[in-house]
Amino acid sequence: MNAAIALGIVGVVVAGTILFGLRGVRGVAMDPQEYIVGGRRMGALLLWLLLAGEIYTTFTFLGAAGWAYGKGAPAYYILCYGTVAYVISFFLAPPIHRIARERGMLTGPDFFVDRYGSRRLGALVAVLGFLMLVPYVTLQLTGLQILLQIAGYGAINPFAAVAIGFFVVAIFTFVTGLRGAAFASIVKDALVLIGVLFAGLVLPTHFFGSPAGALDAVLRDHPTWLTIAGPSAPNGITWVVTTTILTACGFFMWPQSMAAIYSARDEDTLRRNAIFLPFYQVMLLLVFFAGFTALEVLPGLKGAAADQSFMLVVQKYYPAWVLGGVAAAGTLAALIPAAAQLLAAASIIGKNVFADYGLTRDAAAETRTTRILVLVVALLAFAFWALARTTLVGLLLIGYNGITQLFPGVVLGVLRNRPPAIAVGSGIVAGLIVLVYFAATQQGQVAGINTGLVALAVNAAVLGVVAAVARRRSLAAAGDVGPSTSSG
Amino acid sequence: MCVGMRHSMPPRVTAFVSAAIPVLALTVGVVFANRLEPRILGLPFVLAWIVAWVLLTPAFLWVAYRSRTS
Repeated sequence: MNAAIALGIVGVVVAGTILFGLRGVRGVAMDPQEYIVGGRRMGALLLWLLLAGEIYTTFTFLGAAGWAYGKGAPAYYILCYGTVAYVISFFLAPPIHRIARERGMLTGPDFFVDRYGSRRLGALVAVLGFLMLVPYVTLQLTGLQILLQIAGYGAINPFAAVAIGFFVVAIFTFVTGLRGAAFASIVKDALVLIGVLFAGLVLPTHFFGSPAGALDAVLRDHPTWLTIAGPSAPNGITWVVTTTILTACGFFMWPQSMAAIYSARDEDTLRRNAIFLPFYQVMLLLVFFAGFTALEVLPGLKGAAADQSFMLVVQKYYPAWVLGGVAAAGTLAALIPAAAQLLAAASIIGKNVFADYGLTRDAAAETRTTRILVLVVALLAFAFWALARTTLVGLLLIGYNGITQLFPGVVLGVLRNRPPAIAVGSGIVAGLIVLVYFAATQQGQVAGINTGLVALAVNAAVLGVVAAVARRRSLAAAGDVGPSTSSG
Repeated sequence: MCVGMRHSMPPRVTAFVSAAIPVLALTVGVVFANRLEPRILGLPFVLAWIVAWVLLTPAFLWVAYRSRTS
């Protein structure tokens, strides 16, 4: 009975949100420009919601609480990195938008194709983005599985539930494209806000009188839990600072984030967005409170199970309709970002591999290919979910390590004097080799430093050296036109 | 572009400096703020520091915005 109530609420909310998203695209013709970047006329509010979709994902809802529960203070990095990312975007997003509009770009890799005059670099960036989106989509799937399993009071097969949920979102993305996802975000954000307020204020107040009371209880049992450990400790202060820098640089490198930048109405919209987005971050504080409360109320969850912590508290101490409401909010927080991510992964392969290499003949074929690829990516992510299991934060950091390797190329790409494509490509490949080495030897940090940032440093160094060599060679062979001079 | 309309370096510098302050506070600053006491509204000092700077960031970006467009 309880399971029927909770799951029923989840089902009704998801169906209602999808209908709302479909309303948003009624009567809009679907060419690639409309499908992938919402016709490039998203106003401040819709864009704000779309960008904020990045923050209110299952990662926020379960992952941040899971880390507060399982690791404590290192979770604070999540509050820092988004804010630093918005500051970076204040300066970086407007020129990206201007260039993208002038040159008619649709996807993140388009930026590399155009700015470095290299189709091959674009394809490399597309494949990298595609691969790094798989763990990110898997993160949403894992969150979905946790929510549905708990909302079903253990009575339903999580495998089937995830398959159904994901099939629904794949179809939704297939039909509506970016604009539908942005409209659905409106409902999602409102519900998640309510869910977060409940989890972060009502839960700790119920058990400890106030959020501060929950922190006192945590400090009694774990005196060092709420401060960050020393410089060389696992997830210590060096790790927190370097991870903040790494993930802040990577934040807008995701193909879906680049598409969101392109979809803005104008440059000023992006600047004003960057100013106000940090306010969204404060919600994370409440999510930490939920994780800390769960640590005291329901201790003993280990590893990836920590991600379930506060949902289990809700399941154990609250009626089914409350659990259903919270789970519905969380389910949307998994499905809507997953839709944007599926679309991004599909569109970069569709555009920068299929279309750029002449495998699709016209715009209609391109939209059709992108739609089919949405389904392909959904299946791949589902397979990855079935095979690999780690914590939600762990999955996110895998993706960030990889995607941040695009940062040097994007920053240099807005400049007038750009390095040649071979330098940018060599840097990316070098960074990836370093990442694969660290992954193979299972190192997450070196002397306390996040290995992703080490890879980024190697990437930048290789880029610099190759660019310098290429410049000397082109000076030596004066008169030859190198790729670096392909645009003025 | 006429010379009178053109912004020379200073407004741009103001924008960068203003924006750099919260970035430094939320990266390097966290190293120095990493303490439990004094607790502020029940929050450990380091968490209060981070939350305060997240809330202050819009103000610094607004200064950067004004200095670029004024």
